[in-house]
Amino acid sequence: MKSPVKRIAEVIHVISAFWVLVIAGIILVDVLGRQFFNSPLLGAVEIIKNSVVSITFLQLPLAIYSGGMLRTTLLYGAVGPKYQKVLRSLTNILGFLFFAGVAYSSWGPFMEALAINEYEGEGALRVPTYPVRLLVVLTSIFAAFVYIYLMILDWAGRITEDDDTAEMKGAH
Amino acid sequence: MGPEVIIYTFILLVFLVVLGVHIGISLGVASVIGVWLAYGDIEIALSILGSTAYEAIRSDALAVIPLFVLMGEVLSRAGAASDLYRLCDAGLKKLPGRLAAATVVGNAAFAAVSGVSIASAATFSRIAYPEMRKLGYDKSYALGVVAGSACLGMLIPPSVLLIIWAILTEGSVGTLFIAGIGPGILLATVFILYNVIAVLLKPSLAPNVPKAKINVSDDQEGKTSSRSWLFGGLGVIALILLVLGGIWRGLFTPTEAAGFGAAGGILIGFLKGMSMRQFLNAVIDAGRTAAPIMFLLISGSMYARLLAVSGGTGMITDFFNSSGLSPFAIIIVMTIIWLLMGMIIDSISIILLTVPIFVPLAIAAGIPEVAFAIYGILIIEAGLLTPPVGLLVYTVKGTVPDKSVTLGEAFKGATPYWGLILLVAILILLFPQIATWLPSKSF
Repeated sequence: MKSPVKRIAEVIHVISAFWVLVIAGIILVDVLGRQFFNSPLLGAVEIIKNSVVSITFLQLPLAIYSGGMLRTTLLYGAVGPKYQKVLRSLTNILGFLFFAGVAYSSWGPFMEALAINEYEGEGALRVPTYPVRLLVVLTSIFAAFVYIYLMILDWAGRITEDDDTAEMKGAH
Repeated sequence: MGPEVIIYTFILLVFLVVLGVHIGISLGVASVIGVWLAYGDIEIALSILGSTAYEAIRSDALAVIPLFVLMGEVLSRAGAASDLYRLCDAGLKKLPGRLAAATVVGNAAFAAVSGVSIASAATFSRIAYPEMRKLGYDKSYALGVVAGSACLGMLIPPSVLLIIWAILTEGSVGTLFIAGIGPGILLATVFILYNVIAVLLKPSLAPNVPKAKINVSDDQEGKTSSRSWLFGGLGVIALILLVLGGIWRGLFTPTEAAGFGAAGGILIGFLKGMSMRQFLNAVIDAGRTAAPIMFLLISGSMYARLLAVSGGTGMITDFFNSSGLSPFAIIIVMTIIWLLMGMIIDSISIILLTVPIFVPLAIAAGIPEVAFAIYGILIIEAGLLTPPVGLLVYTVKGTVPDKSVTLGEAFKGATPYWGLILLVAILILLFPQIATWLPSKSF
């Protein structure tokens, strides 16, 4: 049975994966509109910019969960299972601390953006910045949680190959 | 603490990477600790996390990565690799060792659209290697050409390495794309000449079987009908030309070209009969490939910021300037570091770790920036072939459907390509025009 953590990670991954298709569509409309109808899509650049950040953060939890993050296996491959577990735990703890730090330090700017109604873009299309800032906070909290969750699974001896947690598998 | 922070942080970074901590996490953690040491204030240190996470990739130029990855993923599901291989084979009828030449061109085109040399080498290990063996090609010869040609693809736009290099150095993605074309053609020519000459000198390497029907095995999921390979292969080449031509003529920004590339890839895929299920899988897998790359860009920017705020870049440049080393010696040092790193980590991580330091040095040494980028990518890719530990050679050995292949045979075959890449890299330093001429002619 799939864990709810993996479920959530998969769902937000799929959403953001299809978001890339939407971006491709926006670019087509923008370029064709500009070339043939002399009317580019308003705010295309702002939408794409914010989408790049959103897509990346929405895809990170699954990348972490399924072992997609790049690492070296020079030492890992050379030590026994006991030390491998120690090394995995080290990466999980640092991963947790890193994303906890990202969430913590993104919170202030988010509150501020909300309070002062921070906008970007000019003219007709002005995009508020707080939604993407909030998304970074939330997905970072989730990413930090995934690292800790993986460590708990690991110590409980519940990481198996078919769990798709390629922490156990080789690197890239 | 002053700029010497950089030294401590670099040691910490290498330590974490060797321990197997995710490379992005290593970069981020080392950067925070570095800023903390430099300012003595944990709040300032943590603030670079939040600000970089939000700002670093918030640019429409960066949409090129997910879009090109999507294009590559869709095309490879649609069987583009074997299409390209067949097309190149059909176009090279009379050439001695023609399957090897077809591998060079086909793999390079496929590596260019798929963006990652290791993935491309794995695909061609399964497609091209068995075909060459079937016709009696020498084992090492066949293995070498698969490994070597995957490196070539990294020079041919839209390569992810070129995009990342441009972004880290705040240069133009379009210029680097166009700059890769000349050296890419040169390297392809050198590879094919090597193939032909090797066969002429020793015909047993690639027995000439006239009119041998090659029967390319299908991609993992792709179905190839009678003539769809011709359409697929030409379609991919047309797509590459559209993307490059559009950027070169100034019709597209790289982001727009990527949007069209992705849409064109999807169109070709469906016209070739890709199923909806394959398409959906391609979209999802594209995300799995792109997200870790984007994350590396975020953490790489944190590291670049550390170098900037701590004055580390200046210190390193001063150190080399005052060391009395000639520009030549500096290049040698950088080259050795790149080749060594290719033994343990992938090319994207190597670029993130070294480019923020090396590029200012190269500029100080008077090397044209664009030519240096192409040189760097060549050397980093050569590092993936360096005997006896190049990652790419291990990949080829691990994925060819032939259990009798030894690592020694794979390295024996790959080493000439390693040498040829280094040769072309040196040529580019001596004659930067090979890289800079075409961008200077763009519109």
